[in-house]
Amino acid sequence: MTTSTVQTATAKKPRSTPKAPDSDRARAENSLGRKLVAPAIVLMLVVTAFPMIRALYLSLFDYSLTDPDERSFVGLQNYVTALTDSLFWRDTANTVMIMLVTVAVELVIGFAFAMVMHRVIFARGVIRTSILIPYGIITVVSGFAWQFAFSSDNGFVNGWLPFLDDTFDWFGAYDSSIVAIMVSEIWKTTPFMSLLLLAGLAQVSEDMIEAAKVDGATWFQRLFKVILPNMRAAIMVAVLFRALDAYRIFDNIYVMTAGANGTESISFLTYRQVIEQFQLGIGSALSVLLFLSVLVVAYLIVKIFRVDLASARQEG
Amino acid sequence: MDARRPLRSRRRRASAGLVSLACASALLAGCSGDGDGRSTLNWYINPDGQATLAKIAEECSTDDYKIEIQLLPTSATDQRTQLARRLAAKDSSTNLMSLDPVFVPEFANAGWLAPFEGDLADEVVDDDVLAGAAETVSWEDEVVAAPQWANTQVLWFRKSLAEAAGLDMSKPVTWDQVIEAADAEGGKVGVQADRYEAYVVWINAMIQGAGGTIVEKTEAGRDAEVTIDSDAGEAAAAVIKKLVDSDATIPGLSTSNEGSSLGVMYPDEGPGEFMTNWTFVYKNYESTVGKPGGPPDEEALKDLGWARYPQTVEGEESKPPIGGIDIGVGAFTPDIDAAQEAAVCITSPEAQTQLAVTDGLMPSRGSVYDSPELQEAYPPDLLELYRDSIDSGGPRPKSAYYSQISSAVQSVWHSPTGVDPDSTPQESADFLRAVLDGKALL
Amino acid sequence: MKQKIGLGVGLAAILVWCLLPVAWIISLSFKSQDAVSNGSEGFLPQPGGGAGWQNYSDVIGDDQFRRAILNSIGISLIATLLSVVIATLAAYAIARLEFRGKRFVLTTALVIAMFPVVSLVGPLFDMWRTIGIYDTWLGLIIPYMSFTLPLAIWTLSAFFREIPWEMEQAAQVDGATSWQAFRKVIVPLAAPGVFTAAILTFFFAWNDFVFGISLTSTETARPIPAALSFFVGPDPFSRPASLLAAGAVVATIPIVIIVLLFQRKIVAGLTSGAVKG
Repeated sequence: MTTSTVQTATAKKPRSTPKAPDSDRARAENSLGRKLVAPAIVLMLVVTAFPMIRALYLSLFDYSLTDPDERSFVGLQNYVTALTDSLFWRDTANTVMIMLVTVAVELVIGFAFAMVMHRVIFARGVIRTSILIPYGIITVVSGFAWQFAFSSDNGFVNGWLPFLDDTFDWFGAYDSSIVAIMVSEIWKTTPFMSLLLLAGLAQVSEDMIEAAKVDGATWFQRLFKVILPNMRAAIMVAVLFRALDAYRIFDNIYVMTAGANGTESISFLTYRQVIEQFQLGIGSALSVLLFLSVLVVAYLIVKIFRVDLASARQEG
Repeated sequence: MDARRPLRSRRRRASAGLVSLACASALLAGCSGDGDGRSTLNWYINPDGQATLAKIAEECSTDDYKIEIQLLPTSATDQRTQLARRLAAKDSSTNLMSLDPVFVPEFANAGWLAPFEGDLADEVVDDDVLAGAAETVSWEDEVVAAPQWANTQVLWFRKSLAEAAGLDMSKPVTWDQVIEAADAEGGKVGVQADRYEAYVVWINAMIQGAGGTIVEKTEAGRDAEVTIDSDAGEAAAAVIKKLVDSDATIPGLSTSNEGSSLGVMYPDEGPGEFMTNWTFVYKNYESTVGKPGGPPDEEALKDLGWARYPQTVEGEESKPPIGGIDIGVGAFTPDIDAAQEAAVCITSPEAQTQLAVTDGLMPSRGSVYDSPELQEAYPPDLLELYRDSIDSGGPRPKSAYYSQISSAVQSVWHSPTGVDPDSTPQESADFLRAVLDGKALL
Repeated sequence: MKQKIGLGVGLAAILVWCLLPVAWIISLSFKSQDAVSNGSEGFLPQPGGGAGWQNYSDVIGDDQFRRAILNSIGISLIATLLSVVIATLAAYAIARLEFRGKRFVLTTALVIAMFPVVSLVGPLFDMWRTIGIYDTWLGLIIPYMSFTLPLAIWTLSAFFREIPWEMEQAAQVDGATSWQAFRKVIVPLAAPGVFTAAILTFFFAWNDFVFGISLTSTETARPIPAALSFFVGPDPFSRPASLLAAGAVVATIPIVIIVLLFQRKIVAGLTSGAVKG
């Protein structure tokens, strides 16, 4: 969701007060700073760290909310159950697939959009407005809009696609259902991606592009040798946040298929165990696993892109 | 779950808006009473028959308390989730609730329902209450809810279709006969086989009709005995396979619900269908004469026949499914006596008459079927069929883990096209065992 | 010339991409409920299958829906207000002061921004029911604040770093009181940033679904996205597509208004954190 990013080396050093601080002053500043950030820290931790610790604890029990008397300690059994269950791996595979496909498609389309927006000198307000509408629209609404669009009773997609029969049931099988879900996800989030990429594009110096042009570089060479390497930071940010967002996909699936035909994501599985089945034990274990897998995904992305970043710098 | 979906008209919905408006303003005021010193009892209802329920709530309010209606979502799964979350939170403002019978054991086991005791228990479940409905409200020898209305499935069919196939509908028929008759005449067999509760309703009814069960010793919770892998389980799977292999399946069988096969009864072309479905069907066709999906004219409506739920095994009495609504009293209610008194009132014979006449929600008390209002609103033989079916119907497994059991069965038995009598019952038994042991995810 | 045509095509593609589904949901909201339940294919309502404003009056007349709109507006506004106030304090400290633990704040914010919210709903539900704020406005406001704080802090601190704080001193030298200097110099400079953070926070709260369905159970606190997903139509066997579409359009109107009024600020806010890092 958020667009901010890791504090990179380019960040400006926070301005300290103009006069050279004596130690009393530094101490006062230290204490004031802490006081100012305290409410934010407390709030952020109250709803994340504390519940996570509780989830860790609950995950060691066989605990159903509808059978509270039978709560019993089972150690790591819930984790074993989850990690050896085909459903867990099927849903994880689904989630990873959704993440890879949507982010890749969004990156390409988003970049194309960013290029257009970067060059266009007229109607900027109109573009900005329209591109922000998918970004701002409620995900549930996007899910509904696409669900109905793909519906064979009331939709228009079947009618518009010449190779499809009018009665084709998009939500009747896995492949077409997951395509519908991804279309909804891609539609809503591509604009966000393109805005981040646009900002990155603005950082690329026109002079360098011109220089490459003079040197006789083709359009593709300019794109891959000059433009893309120079906006790696923006691309990384966009990919990182979109990928983590896509990995947590839930709303679209809930609305469009409710997990039918095996279209469940890992978030949806966790939700069902905890909120629908009231299995707090195994549900908490899944919560912990979900959290850990998000960390792994984040780590992998940062790792992969950092390598690239370093090599890009060496080239430059 | 989705077991009692009666027809709802737009008119009723409109008036319901007003009802919930009244409540919303009460909520704003904290919902803790209304100025004149009366306390408030919140009654969580499902959207079926809202307007009538609102009227009943008003009539059952006294000088001491006022019954306020709170509306739950449409889907039965969502209803259960919403209520359970409130009760798990020990919510003292959840006083009365309309519960699908399959959730009663789960709620009772969790200690969320205040049992009716002594004379009150005898009053709530007396001899007049039909056996199938009475069965749904008992848990560990206590009466934990009051039956309000009852639902059952019967076999609906076109008389002309049965006649053409030479099937004598005055005698009990079997699933095999029904499928063969429809197949031979180009007709269809309407069932509910989407991956949801009503599919389990069908499977359960067929297994019970063959003298079996899905699970036994359900009081043991997780340690219940899984019995679906039996001759009865195979008989049920065989019926599904027979239907799937025939030409009598309705289009979109694997996503069919109670509404899917309604239109197949009166198709533009073709002889119509046999359909197992809930009691709302009669009022549905009665009110859609001449409209899309309904009978073209009064003559066609007269061609609608009804008979007892089909037998799984020839000669063995069928066990029609039981649904409906029981009224539970929240265990965290401050004044349980008052809430139970209100529960008795909203399940009274008068209330049941109103629900049956205006909303097609059938009574759980036998005597109400004899009331002049009902005799006027329904054909007498249909009333008799309903009453018999509810009295001798078979409930779904009464377990605190019912929703897991149901999901596990759905997960293996869906899609119907993959059902195989040789493997499906055994597979579902293994999976059910693993789920109950907490060794498999649902 | 060739490039211009290319740009024109690209522009058209962007507009179609962004607006077609919106046009579709609006069109759907004008299909009559009868037409929809009997099947009404195609983008536009078929002749005779239009509903005029009927769906809208039905939706607005539905008490649960009105309640949900009220909940969403109230909860989102309160969460936004509080979140921005708290984030402003924190961002000021991060941008202007040296103190130990600054990295900790930024890291925490980053981790929380990545947090899978679904993994929290179980324990949060358990906590909320214990302390009695389950199914209340407060029960949603707190998680909304926590999850919008990272965004608000990052955006605001990026803005605050750009503010030439020296001007405050300059104004004081020129004879202004510190309050005047703050109000006349700093507030106008900081306001756009605060404002942007507020809009983005509001979007998040308005959009939330996971908390909305997990931490509520009645119309007391249920926000719009959750209410839409539970929407009850006249036909119990299928979703009331056109009614839902009308509800969806109504729920989107506030977003469109905000976008129309503040598009420039939103884009600035969305990209500032990312680019300036």
